[in-house]
Amino acid sequence: MKVAEIQRFCMHDGPGVRTVIFFKGCPLHCAWCHNPETQSPYPQLLFEAQKCLACRACGECPQGVHGFAQAHTLHREFCSACGRCAALCPTGALSLCGKDMTPTELLELILRDASFYQNGGGVTLSGGEPFLQGEEALELLKLCREKGISTAVETCGYVSPALLEKAVPFVDLFLWDVKDIDDPRHLAYTCVSNKPIMENLRRVDSLGGKTRLRCILVNGVNTEEAHYTAIAELFHSLQNCEGAELLPYHPYGDSKTKAAGMTSTSHPEWIPSEETILQGKNALLSQGVPIHG
Amino acid sequence: MEFYSAFGNRPVRLSDATRKFAYDSLHCRYGRETAENPMVSLDHLDGFSELTDLQKYDLAIREICTHAPIRICEGEMLSGSATLGEAIRHRVPASFGGGSVFYAVSHLTTDFETVVKRGVDGIRSEVLASLEHHKGTDREPFLQSCLSCLESFAIWHSRYLEALREAGYEENYAILSKVPFGAPETFREALQSIWFVFAFQRLCGNWPGIGRIDWFLGDFLERDLAAGRLTLEEARELLAHFFIKGCEWICGGNYGSGDAQHYQNLVIGGRDGEGKDVTNRVTYLVLDVIEELGIGDFPTTLRLHKDTPQKLLRRMAEVIRYGGGVLAVYNEELIYQSLLAYGYPKEEVWKFANDGCWEVQIPGKTNFGYDPFDGLQILQHKTLRPGADFATFEELYQAYLTHLETSVSGIVERHTWEMLGKDEQGNWRWGDWEPCTVISLFEEGCIASGRPYFEGGAIYNVRSPHLGGFADTVNSLYAIRKLVYEEKKCTLSKLLAILSKNWEGEEVLRRYVQSRYTYFGNDDDGCDSIAVSLAKDFAAICRKQEGRCGYRIPPGISTFGRQLEWAPRRMATPYGRKAGEVLAGNCSPTPGTDKEGATAVIRSYCKLDLTEMTTGAALDLKLLPSAVKGEDGIAAIIALMQGFVTLGGFFLQLDVADASILRKAQEHPEDYATLSVRVSGWNARFVTLDRGWQDMIINQTEGRT
Repeated sequence: MKVAEIQRFCMHDGPGVRTVIFFKGCPLHCAWCHNPETQSPYPQLLFEAQKCLACRACGECPQGVHGFAQAHTLHREFCSACGRCAALCPTGALSLCGKDMTPTELLELILRDASFYQNGGGVTLSGGEPFLQGEEALELLKLCREKGISTAVETCGYVSPALLEKAVPFVDLFLWDVKDIDDPRHLAYTCVSNKPIMENLRRVDSLGGKTRLRCILVNGVNTEEAHYTAIAELFHSLQNCEGAELLPYHPYGDSKTKAAGMTSTSHPEWIPSEETILQGKNALLSQGVPIHG
Repeated sequence: MEFYSAFGNRPVRLSDATRKFAYDSLHCRYGRETAENPMVSLDHLDGFSELTDLQKYDLAIREICTHAPIRICEGEMLSGSATLGEAIRHRVPASFGGGSVFYAVSHLTTDFETVVKRGVDGIRSEVLASLEHHKGTDREPFLQSCLSCLESFAIWHSRYLEALREAGYEENYAILSKVPFGAPETFREALQSIWFVFAFQRLCGNWPGIGRIDWFLGDFLERDLAAGRLTLEEARELLAHFFIKGCEWICGGNYGSGDAQHYQNLVIGGRDGEGKDVTNRVTYLVLDVIEELGIGDFPTTLRLHKDTPQKLLRRMAEVIRYGGGVLAVYNEELIYQSLLAYGYPKEEVWKFANDGCWEVQIPGKTNFGYDPFDGLQILQHKTLRPGADFATFEELYQAYLTHLETSVSGIVERHTWEMLGKDEQGNWRWGDWEPCTVISLFEEGCIASGRPYFEGGAIYNVRSPHLGGFADTVNSLYAIRKLVYEEKKCTLSKLLAILSKNWEGEEVLRRYVQSRYTYFGNDDDGCDSIAVSLAKDFAAICRKQEGRCGYRIPPGISTFGRQLEWAPRRMATPYGRKAGEVLAGNCSPTPGTDKEGATAVIRSYCKLDLTEMTTGAALDLKLLPSAVKGEDGIAAIIALMQGFVTLGGFFLQLDVADASILRKAQEHPEDYATLSVRVSGWNARFVTLDRGWQDMIINQTEGRT
């Protein structure tokens, strides 16, 4: 499985204390992506310039990726993400995002915090899109279930219906991303249509899968009244949905965008004000949608 | 009237008058008044210099009780005040020739169980019986001193009665007429009884802890409620007055550890001698009062065990969230095991409380002291001296253990043996020590044996060596093992040369050891295994000291705030810190080295066999207000407490704080007068700490994950 990062003691990604596994690879390319380094399914070299001492330990790169003409610059077009420079870097400025791990290895890490899951906590698979890990994602969920670890999966929903159906019995809670109910907008901002996503959501719901709608709030993009009404309608059409959670857009993903050498996508005008967040919350609450988080 | 909170508004349940009383007390109203009257004078007493120490002490107590100002606060429901300022400085507040005559006693929890069960008259009968038994022996002067101090206590008591009658406080008068000399029968009488005895001990300069308050008071409250004598709301008001009166020494002093509380710790919850959980309505009232007023002057610790009610855990989490670090957690089961393994009898261990900080002791029976020392300086200045050379890491580590043992042995010799009892032939005996009869009266064993508290009178006598700089030592050893012996990137002599130059010109290597190695607190066995060994070996070293004298030598791990005072004598560390940096506190990771979050910190700490740290090893964790918001936040705090117990922790101090708020408080202290922070073991108001302490706390708050 391609793992970008593992975070322990997370409080806001499902109930209780959770260990969150961020996988690499996502079928969506949201303009506001908060974890841009997880979009690609392949390992990527990250470079945090502020940590670099220009010591040139990375200079031995056989591809000649690292240049020191002025400051330390990367010729990423030659980078094969072999990770050699990251292993040599004394300061941690260079690191490789994307590590192969087996479900059993991940389980061992997840179990380390088992003593802290007593109060409703457990594991959350996130990313990226966890279901892009295919059958191994299922295997990991089954292993967790065998050990009595509560499982949550944060999914964009744009995944194989057959895989989802098989996963339902092993997932205690789907944190189902709702980017936009309006399909043309969804296509414009995430590069895919939301139709298969909605079909999958209903499929999971009809199979008894418990869901929570995780709605990103992008100021001026999807914060109009009609969108909240559409979310509320979606909620009321589901049998096993526990409510919604609002995730206001933030630009913090941009530091990772830079580190991964990707084009900046920061949009300060997308940050919703406290007032806008409250409006959204109240709009949903007034239409009978329980709000979590 | 706002009481500081790191997390939203505190609830309001108490009356306006009580809240006003709290506000005034927290804002130094009574403390300043106390500081203005430092001591009574003994200068007028003829022939004072010729008296024995014991006679001098008795006279000092007599003069204090006769002349200390009487204070009745407007509307107070409990009476009695320790009104002499020198007591705030831990001295018997009586002067002769300009200075205070004696030091006082702290680091103990005195016997309030007997006070509540039998009253002070019961103690007096015990003194008379012992006097009869020891008549004509060398024990008689001490027992006469006991009688004298009880008489002085009665003088102070009668002065209060008179003042209360004059001021028209009829109910206070009626209750104080009965207690603390008689045994209490109601909740209010019991509370007044504990308060008055506590205030008397403090009046004479001592700083005792109080112990298991809910266990003392629970039955009294239930009986009153059943009989319709008292409502729960009235009981909460009374308990609030107990807390507020405990703030009477807050005077806004700004020095070192600031206007810290004076070890008046409380313990709540836990099991009794039959294994039954003692949680009762007083337990919840204590939490109500802390939640509403945020008073940090009675740091309160829950004895957590597997059957602690869920409701209580939830209340703990709710109150912890407001910040201030007032609440902490003991792992009761582990401490039982630890005390039993050390040799305390089974019928005693369930009684445990602390010395006023968090070092475990059997309350009302223990003469306790601890000797802190810096393990990191031993490594730096003894083991890693210039020219040091070891073929293997194991050799280096063994050399360190030898130096550690020499230090511990020296401490025991100097602090315990020589100072407290060695005779001219070098044999141990209980020596003469400064008198402290007011404390001996409330420590089981002293009266019956006719021996004072410091001279072998108490049932248990403990001097605990406390290893400091624990994480820093472990991290240093780990960095050396990796760099010098495993990766061989650098010889030991080269590393020592680099350290002696404070990493100058070696920034790349410094960053390498900082960023590429995983240190204590990240749930990584590489470094954690050194921590496990060091704790075990330190415990073994202390065991070797047992039997050398009348004191027991159980180990503990702490720094309290000493990482600040040790900083100037510490060199650069092999794990990349520069000379003079303020490093790890207590048994917590070095700030900035724990990168895996709170659960990983707890896991690393719990890998140590903490049953061997008999007097304790504290873990301080700080959480951001944003991390504990909502139901998720409550769940997280509960989960941390539960995991801590399951994994075998000892003492967990959870605080909610935000470095940016602390910075604001530094700039505008006037707006943050009631912001309390737990300073590793005791609790202080942030704004009264000096700059170095404040910076250290901000640094620790930022260093968390």
